Amino acid sequence: MHKRVLVVGGGIAGIQASLDLAEMNIEVYLIEKGPSIGGRMTQLDKTFPTNDCAMCILSPKLVEAGAHPYIKIITNAELENIAGQAPYFEATIIKKPRYINEEKCTGCGICMTKCPVKIPDEYNKGLSKTKCIHIPFPQAVPAIPIIDKENCLYFKKGKCRNCEKFCEMKAIDFNQKEEIIKIDVGSVILALGSEEFDATLKDEYGYKTFPNVMTSIEFERILSASGPTQGHILRPSDGKEPKSIAFIQCVGSRDMQLGNEYCSAVCCMQATKDVILVQEHLSGAETSIFYMDIRAYGKDFDKFVDRAKNDYQARFIHARISSIEVNPDTEDLIIQYATDEGKIKREEFELVVLSVGLVSSGRIKETAGKLNIELNECGFSKASSFTPVSTSRAGIFVAGTFSGPKDIPETVMEASGSVSGASSLLMRFPVKEIKEELPQEINIEGQPPRIGVFVCRCGINIAATVDVPEVVKYASTLGGVVHSQEFMFACSQDSQKSINEKIKEKNLNRVVVAACTPRTHEPLFQKTLQASGLNPYLFEFANIREQCSWVHQKEKDLATQKACDLIRMAVSKVRLFNPLSKSTLAINKKALVIGGGVAGMVASLDLANQGFGVYLVEKEADLGGNFRHIHYTWNGEETQNFLTTLIQEVKSNKMINLYTKSEIKEITGYVGNFKTLLADESGRKKEIEHGVVIVATGAEEYEPTEYLYGQDDRVVTQRQLEEWLGVSEERLAVDAEHHAPATDPLASNTGHRQLDIHSQLQGKNSQIMTSNPRVLNTVVMIQCVGSRDEERPYCSRVCCSQAIKNALKLREFNPKLNIYILYRDIRTYGIKELYY
Amino acid sequence: MGDNNKAIVVNELDFSFREEITSQPGGENIKRCFNCGTCVAGCPITEIDEEFNCRRIVRQILLGMREEVLSSPAIWLCLECYRCYARCPQKVNFTDIMRILRYLAIKGNYVPARTSAQIEDLDRFIQEIRCSFIKHTFKPEEKIAKEIKSKIDQKLNTIKSYHRGESIPLSNGRGINENRKI
Repeated sequence: MHKRVLVVGGGIAGIQASLDLAEMNIEVYLIEKGPSIGGRMTQLDKTFPTNDCAMCILSPKLVEAGAHPYIKIITNAELENIAGQAPYFEATIIKKPRYINEEKCTGCGICMTKCPVKIPDEYNKGLSKTKCIHIPFPQAVPAIPIIDKENCLYFKKGKCRNCEKFCEMKAIDFNQKEEIIKIDVGSVILALGSEEFDATLKDEYGYKTFPNVMTSIEFERILSASGPTQGHILRPSDGKEPKSIAFIQCVGSRDMQLGNEYCSAVCCMQATKDVILVQEHLSGAETSIFYMDIRAYGKDFDKFVDRAKNDYQARFIHARISSIEVNPDTEDLIIQYATDEGKIKREEFELVVLSVGLVSSGRIKETAGKLNIELNECGFSKASSFTPVSTSRAGIFVAGTFSGPKDIPETVMEASGSVSGASSLLMRFPVKEIKEELPQEINIEGQPPRIGVFVCRCGINIAATVDVPEVVKYASTLGGVVHSQEFMFACSQDSQKSINEKIKEKNLNRVVVAACTPRTHEPLFQKTLQASGLNPYLFEFANIREQCSWVHQKEKDLATQKACDLIRMAVSKVRLFNPLSKSTLAINKKALVIGGGVAGMVASLDLANQGFGVYLVEKEADLGGNFRHIHYTWNGEETQNFLTTLIQEVKSNKMINLYTKSEIKEITGYVGNFKTLLADESGRKKEIEHGVVIVATGAEEYEPTEYLYGQDDRVVTQRQLEEWLGVSEERLAVDAEHHAPATDPLASNTGHRQLDIHSQLQGKNSQIMTSNPRVLNTVVMIQCVGSRDEERPYCSRVCCSQAIKNALKLREFNPKLNIYILYRDIRTYGIKELYY
Repeated sequence: MGDNNKAIVVNELDFSFREEITSQPGGENIKRCFNCGTCVAGCPITEIDEEFNCRRIVRQILLGMREEVLSSPAIWLCLECYRCYARCPQKVNFTDIMRILRYLAIKGNYVPARTSAQIEDLDRFIQEIRCSFIKHTFKPEEKIAKEIKSKIDQKLNTIKSYHRGESIPLSNGRGINENRKI
């Protein structure tokens, strides 16, 4: 067998994992239960906190996964079983019939225009109709339709067969049967995802009873240019623009009545994003978010919330509502809530959006059961704090919301993390050699420029501001341009096909795409050129989105003029281009990891396990960083043994060169070939060479100047409290052992370390720290000290959990202790909520 | 309820109070309260009288404000409709907690022993009046209107006589002592 991994689930987690693996020349089988890869991200309009277009980030990845020689996508398929043990698994997959021959279908779409049956469009959450034979969404990969058997006239009544009659490729196959596929793989990544909470279970909110109550995912479709209202916010009862919209948070989350005690971790920011987008779509509409705690715990999230409040006039109301009532005359919705002062308020809204949480569905649990994967009390894959991308079964990894609610950036990080685990199991297998077959490059020497200009509407991202047909017309008048046209989405797979056809049909020898940013999309179009026989460097990008339509939303005419200018410049530039060829440069396959905390050590070990040499540099004498001060986790896991083992593994790994008490003096060079100058404490210098750098330098605990800190012994930081509790716990354990003969050698080690920590604490709060926590009667914890203020306008995201963890530990010492936590929002996001 | 702006002095609080409530059947989940206000938002009494605020009572219990809670007339305002419990995301059974509070208020001599029966009696009376009103709304009849008026007058007189120290005839014909046994 050669290096091969099975990835289950074609959402952003599975796609990112597949692409990472494929880049390492590892063969990937990516299986997806639906007819296209893409997952929930395809249905989102924008992503928080940057308001990037979700589809624009995803679409190039869809195309890349669809075209990558190392990725084999099997859609409409479910995982039945995984037999064997790592790295010798045998996966059984059931591929359900699509009733289309995927080899023959070109995705032309004629079948869809001829199909007489309309069915609710799942992609738009049933808010619009699609055909019984349909492609789930325009950018679908593969761009091949599927027949909905339940509704098909032929399957129901034995007649019609319109699609079959009109398909020129003879791709319709009503006799297709379920197929069982068996694949040998070395490791598995499960990216099964999650589902939205079914809002009908929260009946007091009237979802499905009152027409103007919708879910947050339905609202995403309403906001989206590719949605049922083409991005116009219209309410379902009368198709009018709502003047006031309420968002109800924690629908199906943090709710014991429904058995979902955890926080869904994304809804606060989703609603914040939505209130901002509402202003962009419907200027002047009033928006209100009813919340319990705003969980803006991620990077720049608090700034995003402040923007929504200050620049977009959104009201954030700290209240959970009891029910939603309706005004039967207007179909407006009545919400009664209690203010923090205890006043009852009653308001009417024209539209209500329920922020539905993420849940593990029966189907997901069933798959986990078949695979023997342990789930936690919330129905998500059980993971330890120290191995978050592992499952209970060795060799099977996890990424994304299958292991708990999380947002897209964290999902993508986990995907890459799981790839690191999955690939390190494949060291013994050879790489499968695949030669990409590209057509012979057309020699354009001596040819006059024949330029094709392709202008993207990007849904409404560009087209709502820039007059795209006008720009296309203008482009056709430019010197050397022999073809110009527009696309709804230039990045979709069918658009690539269309560009390819035009290159051949019109003998194009230069291409300009006027769309978004070359940062994400240039490689995609260059590949299309290559596949059409053109040198990939005969291409130029004109960014008429970020540099035009997005920044000139209010000056439409000028924006159109600017788009024309940008295209004219691109055309003038591309006219002068000559073919370029790549040459290979040797790269250094060693990595520099800066920082010997847990992040740096785990990164070093993962790299080493994949066969790469590592230079690990730590400025202190000991490894461990901040983690040395963590004595227990919120869910009661042992920390210091984990750290000791980790340090031992790092120190004994021959691939890792460790430099403690050392600092970086200078880094020169470039990607693939860096030179770094290290200096140790005595100033001795050493030069190392490496290809990449991982920065894991960590952060420090804020040292307060407020609340008598440093002036009164009794004021300590949470970390100092934790140190004290950790040490006290060990001391009490040692004391208990003194009554029995201490034969365990670990016991004396423990006592030794305790002394070390004591000496570290000397001089600072020494009096309180040497006493027994049992003497305490009352403890007050003050949150957000040094966070969420003007100087540091962000949430430090660990303090709420740390306070709760320490409060629970204090209670272990003294069950009668009184603890007060003074907070603004408790941010125990995800399943940490269980400990709140 | 007292002055909302008055500072609460931690050392004057009775921390055993919340443990006492927690240990009673129905009171188990009170410490789970995370202050969301769902109970208040849906309460049919708060809608009429904002002095009654179940969230505030729960917070007072958790802080240990035994005196304030048990001596307050607010704990007798609850209708026991269980809406707060049905909608509470943390399953705090406020209605049963209210029963515990009323029992403790009587046991601790914060109110006369008969208060419980009096409130029960009043509730029954109000239901009676309510039914009459609803019927009257659908089909206004002079007879019903007169009946309502006379019932209210009767009730007001009963309450007056109770404050003069006379015994209270309950509407089901049983005396207070008898009723308490039940």
